[in-house]
Amino acid sequence: MSSHPAAEFDHLPGREVELDVATQDCLIHMGPQHPATHGVMRVLLKADGEILAGAQTHLGYLHRCAEKIGENVDWLQYLPYTDRYDYLAAMNNNLGYSLAVESLLGAEVPARAQYLRVICAELNRIASHLFAVGTYGLDLGAFTPLFSALRDREEVLELFEKICGARLTYSYIRPGGVMNDAPEGWLTKVAEFLDRFEKTWHEYWTLMVENKIFIERTANIGVLTEEQALSWGCTGPMLRGSGVDWDLRRDQPYLIYDQLEFDVVKGIGYRGTLGDCFDRNFVRMFEMTESVRILRQCLAQIPDGEIMHEEVGAVIRPAPGESYVSIENPRGELGHYVVSNGTKIAVRVRVRSPSFCNMSVAEHLMPGSMLGDAASIIGSVDIVVGETDR
Amino acid sequence: MSQRDTAWGPMEVQRVAASEAAQALQAVGIELKLCVPNLPWVAPEGEAKDLVRRAKEEDAEPVWRGDAYLLLSEPGQVTQALQHCRDELGYSQLYDLTACDPAADETQLKLIYGLRNLKSKARLILQSRVDKAAASVPSVASIYQAADWHEREAGEMYGITFVGHPDPRNILLPDDWVGFPLRKDYEYPDEYNGVSCKE
Repeated sequence: MSSHPAAEFDHLPGREVELDVATQDCLIHMGPQHPATHGVMRVLLKADGEILAGAQTHLGYLHRCAEKIGENVDWLQYLPYTDRYDYLAAMNNNLGYSLAVESLLGAEVPARAQYLRVICAELNRIASHLFAVGTYGLDLGAFTPLFSALRDREEVLELFEKICGARLTYSYIRPGGVMNDAPEGWLTKVAEFLDRFEKTWHEYWTLMVENKIFIERTANIGVLTEEQALSWGCTGPMLRGSGVDWDLRRDQPYLIYDQLEFDVVKGIGYRGTLGDCFDRNFVRMFEMTESVRILRQCLAQIPDGEIMHEEVGAVIRPAPGESYVSIENPRGELGHYVVSNGTKIAVRVRVRSPSFCNMSVAEHLMPGSMLGDAASIIGSVDIVVGETDR
Repeated sequence: MSQRDTAWGPMEVQRVAASEAAQALQAVGIELKLCVPNLPWVAPEGEAKDLVRRAKEEDAEPVWRGDAYLLLSEPGQVTQALQHCRDELGYSQLYDLTACDPAADETQLKLIYGLRNLKSKARLILQSRVDKAAASVPSVASIYQAADWHEREAGEMYGITFVGHPDPRNILLPDDWVGFPLRKDYEYPDEYNGVSCKE
């Protein structure tokens, strides 16, 4: 008598169970239009039964030649294109590009503009992380957190609408300073938002992060080790989730970040293994509270004064040279490598986008995990395809 | 905490790192030139313009601004140089790898490797030059895996062959794309697979 678990059904007609079945690998196309890919991106999954045997990422569906455009329009005209790489954190993109151009101009913007830049960048970080956390819940089947997240993100977008008129593509931070000063009472509104947000933050924590199903779907899944994270060039919450203590705002301070007090959040393996999907989400959750801390300090310290550098005009001709300037975007290191030959059009505008580098490791995290975890892993990378493809 | 020299980040730490790395790499037989910018980091625009103009008039060494970098004389030595930087000098991360075409009439492309040391908080930029006619350079994907996708992108955009790359397919462009779009002499296509590219 055979001893396999299905043996008791062997007497039934048609129930001859073959034990050594040779299974065939099955190729599954995830995307290009899939809600969990957060944009048009295709992942080719090789499934051995329910287990992933391999994955291959196909990019390029959203390639809009941003770098080529950079070599064909003048320095200031390129600014609106920067809004469109990471469209969830356009303020940060504007900031990265503006700092890169200013590094060739040799122009440091006035103090008030620096504070306004940090306020907008950190507000945008909160909005971006809210969207990341909310949609991550959605990827894993939890619908409610997204609506709470969008409710709070809406408040940030309204603040941005008041300061620059746009809700998604701002072009507010520009080479030389910022577009205009904060309107009357705007800073008070920011403070009020922070008070409300600190309360609702606990909602996300209890509703989502401490949820048993969420923990089951993310803890111990897609573990990225420290060596892997460094070798693959991961940055941002991806790198910090693996326990690496690295944040450009503290370690390579730009603007006024050296005068502000904040902690760099790292993954600690809170519910599983260090560097798993849970840790990456965990880092994003606490980065929002750190941003609140930064914003409170900025609101208390912001000086009066000019908001544009007096020498940066409508047409700029940066000095010849080449410079790489990077900032900490919500998704990681956004770097601009800009080359000027002294004319009003750039020789090269290279965009080192965090999602591109973070995504390159995702296909190596998948083999061995369950098919359903593909969404967990891709979601935890928090890609914006506008940025991977540029 | 790193020293903040300018509003766009610390510059002095990069410059010191570049000269230290230059000595260390030369000691192991890698031929290179240390290129240091000669315009001040922060200067009134008019002053910088004067310096640029004067350098042109006097036919002196060109003045430029930005990051200091190491220019490798021999592109074939790039793997050896990066290996040394990673294993001996502590540059654990390749944050960027890209190329640049300086002008249509130039015969060479620039290759730019950006390394980062998370302990000393320094960045290090290595550059090399390859001929446009036969652009070929060893792949560094076996040293830093981050180079995998960056080399694919630089390869398709500039027509550079990365010898020894594990998977040299196009990454952002379609597989049947003709030409190398980021070269300065790139000619825009009239049509792609029957779809007109004209306005």
